[in-house]
Amino acid sequence: MTDRVARMRPAVPARLVTPLAYLASFTVTMTAVALLVELTGHSAAEVALTLYQGSFADLLSLGRVLDEATALLLVATGAVVCARAGMFNIGQEGQLVIGALAGAFVALRVPAPGWLAPVLTLGAAAAGGALWAGVAAALHYWRRVNVVIGTLLLIFLASQLVSFALNRDWLLQEATPAGQNRLPQSAVLPAAAHLPRWGRYPGIEVGAGALLAIGIAAATVVLLARSQWGFRLRLLGLNPVAARRSGVRAGLVGGGALLISGGCAGLAGGVVLAGDVHRMQGGIANNLGWEGLLVALVARHHPAAVVPVAVLFGALRAGAGFLASTGVPRYLVSVLTALIVIASTLPAAFAELRLRRRPGRSRS
Amino acid sequence: MRSFGRPVRAARGAEAPDADAPAVQLQGLTKRFGPVLACADVSMTVLRGRIHGLLGQNGAGKTTLMRMLAGLVRPDAGRILVAGRPVTVTDPATATALGIAMVHQHFSLVGRLRVWENVALGGRGRLDSRWTRREIGRVADGYGLLVDPDRRVDELTTSERQRVELVKCLIRAPQVLILDEPTSTLTPPEARHLLSVLRRVVSDESRAVVLISHDLDELAHAADEVTVMRDGAVLARRSAAEVDVGELGRLMVGDQLPAAVAAPAGEPREQVRLRIRDAWATQARRPVLRGLDLRVRAGEIVGVAGVEGSGQGALADLLSSLLPLDRGNVEVDGNPVPPGRPGAMQRAGVGVVPEDRHVSGCVLDMSVAENLAMTDLGPVSRWGFVSRGRLRQRAEATIREFAIGGASPDTPLRLLSGGNQQRVVLARELGAAASVLVVAQPTRGLDAAAVEHVFARIGGLAAQGVAVLLISSDLADIRRLAHRIVVLHRGAVVGELTQATADPQRLGLLLGGRPE
Repeated sequence: MTDRVARMRPAVPARLVTPLAYLASFTVTMTAVALLVELTGHSAAEVALTLYQGSFADLLSLGRVLDEATALLLVATGAVVCARAGMFNIGQEGQLVIGALAGAFVALRVPAPGWLAPVLTLGAAAAGGALWAGVAAALHYWRRVNVVIGTLLLIFLASQLVSFALNRDWLLQEATPAGQNRLPQSAVLPAAAHLPRWGRYPGIEVGAGALLAIGIAAATVVLLARSQWGFRLRLLGLNPVAARRSGVRAGLVGGGALLISGGCAGLAGGVVLAGDVHRMQGGIANNLGWEGLLVALVARHHPAAVVPVAVLFGALRAGAGFLASTGVPRYLVSVLTALIVIASTLPAAFAELRLRRRPGRSRS
Repeated sequence: MRSFGRPVRAARGAEAPDADAPAVQLQGLTKRFGPVLACADVSMTVLRGRIHGLLGQNGAGKTTLMRMLAGLVRPDAGRILVAGRPVTVTDPATATALGIAMVHQHFSLVGRLRVWENVALGGRGRLDSRWTRREIGRVADGYGLLVDPDRRVDELTTSERQRVELVKCLIRAPQVLILDEPTSTLTPPEARHLLSVLRRVVSDESRAVVLISHDLDELAHAADEVTVMRDGAVLARRSAAEVDVGELGRLMVGDQLPAAVAAPAGEPREQVRLRIRDAWATQARRPVLRGLDLRVRAGEIVGVAGVEGSGQGALADLLSSLLPLDRGNVEVDGNPVPPGRPGAMQRAGVGVVPEDRHVSGCVLDMSVAENLAMTDLGPVSRWGFVSRGRLRQRAEATIREFAIGGASPDTPLRLLSGGNQQRVVLARELGAAASVLVVAQPTRGLDAAAVEHVFARIGGLAAQGVAVLLISSDLADIRRLAHRIVVLHRGAVVGELTQATADPQRLGLLLGGRPE
């Protein structure tokens, strides 16, 4: 068997294989994007320039990037925690809107002194998201419902619930003067519940949500790598049987990870609500849940790598908005985003396949 | 055309095979898997109208031999004759066309499909559910095999699944039917029923049956002829008339047990460290423990012998907190330990070196240091945080002590060789075994020097008063170390031997399920 391995030795040194695979993957993808843009009758160079102008070119745009990245970072951090425990939560989109809904309800209905209002709002948002993920966790541990399926289907339930609440004036719908069209949205949150923002036009604006997201991401990096909890969580994700033997309770650690993940998504919803939109609307999630999941995927479930990837995806979101105003269809950016995800996951998937095919690996 | 895949007699009749020729003749079959000679120049003749028993311990080569006949393994050398005609069995489809069918030890049914769908699987032509159901009914009635064609296989018990498997074979009207350990998971009445069905298959229809088994009684009663295999070779052939169960047992185990090389370390003390009472358990719907009772005293090394499926694996799982009990209890040092609760056995002071380390023993994608600390984070932690420094320090000491080659504390375990991975597991579990140490198949995959090292450690722990359970299918290991040998059969203890009373015949009889 050894001689067979020797014969299969690649021409490239082993430590260069991965970077080269990424380079090749991204080159192919970017070429494909450029071709696509040209084919649809636009100039690739101009599109690239516009995307840059809409994201990193000036401080104002940078602030926009940070706002987008904040929610993505929160969602992705939760997704990483969950994935590391071997659970795949893909229902962040629903957990996010439920979080926002809970946050809006508390902000509008629970009177609180100035400093407490945003804390309560965000707390309710996190609890709402965790609760929504908790439904999937309960279904999984009691009735063995697959987590992927459970979390996915709960998204649709979440959007129904939000739509219901936003169309009932005794729940959350905004009160309007008689004769005016009633929109499915809540009233504007009281000013006390808005998250503080620092900096002002035309300089960079940084919201409290961004600092919160960075803090949570940093705490996750440390806790996953260093704490007993993180150790047990990784153990559970890598080998559930060995984890059980070592005393890791799957329901507690794995279910807990799912709750944390839902809580993070809910918090992201709360941050969008209290830091940016300031009122509950049906479209508040705006794909943030899905794209946050993609951020975690591209970062390959490394909690630290999530930060730059979230900023990149935030820039694409911000840039896409700007691009749309110049007449280039916005969906081109969606295609670009999708191709980036494929390009960044392909080498890993390839490596995994190669590992599985490697001869002589013991029976699993 | 509706058929279950075999172009029936027409093709065979054309060449007019000798009607008196044996159903199958195997001549000089040899198969090598890497360095292991699974079958060495094996010859065997299976006659029509007979049940042919194939007896041997695990690894004797019985299953490999039959897999060659069923087209699942290609022989390196030798000839196969079916009905007197030399044939090449390249794949299972060819075997089916030749009239050879095999019921495997681990069933090959699709759980989510219905019974009739499973039976139809592998057939040819149009899928006709009504016809298939009727055929199932015909075969099932004919043999007295109760099956409901419309139930999903998932919902069936082990014995029902086996009936389905059997119907699936019989419906194809095989000339030779091979069954690999068919009764190992059945209750005695179910087993008797199965054997009566097999009797009907051979006597009424003049087919041939090969029955692989290590149950001596079963072969003595059911088989017309018995072939005994050991270490890949045929040792003896006996007809029903001349079968002597004692002799079969002796042949299966070997003429001589390896001598007890060294006196087991120290004398057992009075204190009972591990007590298992009336343990019953099921795993994947199969009963794996059926009333197991076991006591191990401090300082005692108890060897647990048994053939595959006897409950050795389940016993190790039970003491790894991986198997909850349906009934019965486990006590360590007099305190009850809830079976199946994550980590409970570990906390009670039970160390386990599992048979397959990759399943429950280690985590390949964690570092050596993390694997060493896995089961007990207490000593390397502070305030809920794992200290990198302490983790590394402890790992360095262990790496030196156990001579784990090519490892630094931060090396991912995946990069170590199999032997060194095994050392990591050993090092951790020997250290964790405060009261009880369970070692399953400890010498598998280790070289001679490493085996000596492991044995010395086990002896040392016993001398310190740890109760040791040595679960092994290698009698030599047990013979060398154990004070006492306990033999498992069908999930319970069938008998007990001391080093002085252990002789091949007794051991062989017990392994084959015959209490004295």
